[in-house]
Amino acid sequence: MDAVTYPQHEVIEFVNQAVIPLRVAYNTEPLATNFNLKWTPTLIVLDPDGKEHNRTVGFISPEQLIPSLLLGIAKVHFDRDMFSEALANLETLLLKYPKSDAAPEAIFFRGVVKYKATHDAKPLKQAYELLDANFPGAEWTKRAYPYRLLP
Amino acid sequence: MDMKIQWETNMDKALARAKAENKPVFLDFFHAL
Repeated sequence: MDAVTYPQHEVIEFVNQAVIPLRVAYNTEPLATNFNLKWTPTLIVLDPDGKEHNRTVGFISPEQLIPSLLLGIAKVHFDRDMFSEALANLETLLLKYPKSDAAPEAIFFRGVVKYKATHDAKPLKQAYELLDANFPGAEWTKRAYPYRLLP
Repeated sequence: MDMKIQWETNMDKALARAKAENKPVFLDFFHAL
């Protein structure tokens, strides 16, 4: 991460602007125990109360880190019922990084967020159709499979 | 433009900033090789 991902200007700008970056060694206690740390790098997105909302383990390239963080930020908002904020981050992710590794999950959660905000089931079915067209066989396409039956 | 990520190194300080700036925290557990 230090050699490849963190020196990239786009990554620096995004991280400094969008989140509070916190870096600790793998053996820092009590954090390592509290977060059940088992491998590095482990990257976690927390809300301002310190509650975990998203976690990745292993190296992430510069091209994938920003969409991964956007997804994590969206999950922070989603889990706190802040649907418009969650949707804004998911839309940014899908507009700027539509082919990223985080995109299928973002499409899934965009459908869920829209449903939670409106109780209209169409966005769930649209999420499945978009996933099936662009990411056939992907994990999040399979998870959305039941939504194909919605009216 | 900042030329590097401005890492915090203390959880309490990071959470205080997160609340003040209304931003999530990006926590990186690292192992220096």
